[in-house]
Amino acid sequence: MDKLITDIGGDAAGPIPLEGRDQLFWEKQMIAAFNLLQVKGVVVTDEFRRTVEEMPADYYADSTFYGRRLDGMVRLLIEKGVIDADAFDARAREILQAGTRDHV
Amino acid sequence: MSTHDHDHDHDDHAPTREDDDLELTEGEARFLALKSLLIEGGVMTADEIRARMEFNERGSPHQAARMIARAWLDPDYKKRMLADTKSAAAELGIEATEAALVTIENTPDRHNMVVCTLCSCYPRSLLGEPPAFYVSKAYRSRAVREPRKVLREFGVDIPETVDIAVHDSNADLRYVIMPMRPAGTEGMNEAELAALITRDSVVGCALPVGPA
Amino acid sequence: MSDATPAYAVGDRVRILDIGKPGHVRTPTYVRHKTGTIERFCGMFENPEDKAYGRWGLPPIPLYRVQLKQRDIWPDYDGAPGDVLEIEIYDHWLAPAGEAA
Repeated sequence: MDKLITDIGGDAAGPIPLEGRDQLFWEKQMIAAFNLLQVKGVVVTDEFRRTVEEMPADYYADSTFYGRRLDGMVRLLIEKGVIDADAFDARAREILQAGTRDHV
Repeated sequence: MSTHDHDHDHDDHAPTREDDDLELTEGEARFLALKSLLIEGGVMTADEIRARMEFNERGSPHQAARMIARAWLDPDYKKRMLADTKSAAAELGIEATEAALVTIENTPDRHNMVVCTLCSCYPRSLLGEPPAFYVSKAYRSRAVREPRKVLREFGVDIPETVDIAVHDSNADLRYVIMPMRPAGTEGMNEAELAALITRDSVVGCALPVGPA
Repeated sequence: MSDATPAYAVGDRVRILDIGKPGHVRTPTYVRHKTGTIERFCGMFENPEDKAYGRWGLPPIPLYRVQLKQRDIWPDYDGAPGDVLEIEIYDHWLAPAGEAA
């Protein structure tokens, strides 16, 4: 049976990135929104970990920490019917094209 | 919906707004899409997100420094912290929300370090969000396999006469490493000692250094 | 059995199994088939293998910290002989050392 893509303890790897960087504003918002989803019982942490594990291996290899958290949560919310996949894609395209933020 | 004003908040813990000047990335656009759908769907409100962001800031600067400094000065507090870390935190007015929190003490015989090989488990209520190195695949892979080499990359050289214990935080416990009090700190008060205790030393990837 | 005593005591030698379970599990591959010692009983916790799929994860299951010598995990471990790895393992992933997996 293949390992879970997250099951990387002991794998060969390169240097450890020592540079910190401040979290971006949207990343802080994202963490807060995810915390709320858990606090409100919309999702459970274990389900979220599971959706990250279900991503294709090559996606996981190339993804960033915040990027895959976002994608894992989006997958989970679509799975649960909390958001609609097409509506999400359309909204993301719209926002990217408009290029503006709404720091609510 | 009113747009948030662009004044920087007076509170030190206000989120950075500098990235207002950064171009919108795909990742941010996707997150903003998700956020808007969740708000429109009545799952959460913008105010709730804002409040939670502020709540999350309480882990920065990290709250373990005060606890460890107190433990260095007060052997009874140290005993209590080792026995029941959550209660010891509460004694200092620190609300630790982890299900289970454990303190592991560095000794002259053993140095401890923490990793979550499977994801990024970390005592966030005490320490805030984990640093980039902690969530990196390189640290998650290598910390369990070659801890001494990893520590040398952090500039920490543990002699062979001191054992290393690596703690893989893979289930429900979250860990705080209590470093040893460095030499040259006699007579320092709790606040002065706390200032020496870096976040990285509470993960086991740094050692607190006494005054020069 | 809400008042069952834990199966393992501190100091017991145990082997970490590979139970061949697909899907979400929290026992990393690198410790499977390895032998260590019970460092402490952590308590009873909801089973993440069930919670990951929307189930309650009840009844709670025993969780232990297991200590393994690094040289027993990695054939070419290049550190001090006393270096150890400590990790949390649920009861159903453990067997007394010496028993067939």
